[in-house]
Amino acid sequence: MTTLSTSLKPLVLAWLLLVVLTVLSLGLGQSFHSAPWLPLLVAAIVWFKGRLVARQFVESELATPFIRRLLAVFIAFAPAGLVLTGFFGRQFANWATL
Amino acid sequence: MMAEAVLQAPPPETTSPASGRVPGNKGIWVGITCEFVEFAVLFIVYFVARAHFPEAFQQGAERLSRLSGTVITLLMVTSSFMIACSVTTMRAGRRRQSIWWLIAGLVVALGYPVVKVLEIQWNLANGINGESGIFFTVYYYLTFNHLVHAVWGILGILWVLARHLAGGYTTEDHCGLEALASYWHATDIIWLVIFPFFYVLA
Repeated sequence: MTTLSTSLKPLVLAWLLLVVLTVLSLGLGQSFHSAPWLPLLVAAIVWFKGRLVARQFVESELATPFIRRLLAVFIAFAPAGLVLTGFFGRQFANWATL
Repeated sequence: MMAEAVLQAPPPETTSPASGRVPGNKGIWVGITCEFVEFAVLFIVYFVARAHFPEAFQQGAERLSRLSGTVITLLMVTSSFMIACSVTTMRAGRRRQSIWWLIAGLVVALGYPVVKVLEIQWNLANGINGESGIFFTVYYYLTFNHLVHAVWGILGILWVLARHLAGGYTTEDHCGLEALASYWHATDIIWLVIFPFFYVLA
């Protein structure tokens, strides 16, 4: 059995991390806008920030399996797309052409 | 006396990791699932457009106001944090603090539509509208769609705040507050995806 948290400390830490990662990703985008690895790094940051909100704010680890999976799949979906279009954009465009 | 106090104190809410709990109520998770499916489809459209027109997407991001995107992101994560604090303090039996956290979350959340209006005015002043190219078409429909969901969330916050002020929530039963929080966190997660799409990946 797991007890729901009544402490604000994990929430404050998660919020600070979200703010730092937001500013960091913006700085990375401006400094390395033509770097080939940028989509991979941005995808990793998006995934991590999404997981942070899900774990600390929604408390997804204590949720039902459906809610846990729903959040995990949705949070992984966009980063996967970013990597796909970042590294296999041309092949994906060919595949997605009507 | 001590034993009586212990007996009267609400037991800490527990949950089994195997079965788990529903944060809020089932109804809100039906809505959140629909919201995720809707945005997943819109994200697919974004990826298809980006794969077909990579140059337009690289050049388009350079023309947008990064400041607006960053401020909206900070407003979303901060209001999400404050509403999470409202749930946690209510759970701990601190109703007054919970109400103040919710009010703070509402005030910060209201900054989002305000910044959006300023961003649109800035866009129009710089010749950016829905017909400025594929990048801006995708940008407008995705960000407007998110704004609509955020406005629903703000209306939800107002309703939950009214109920909270009227004593509608207790330490034992505040699932309405938690349902609103779950919806707002889901809307926050969606924005965390949209932000790099248009403001980071140039």
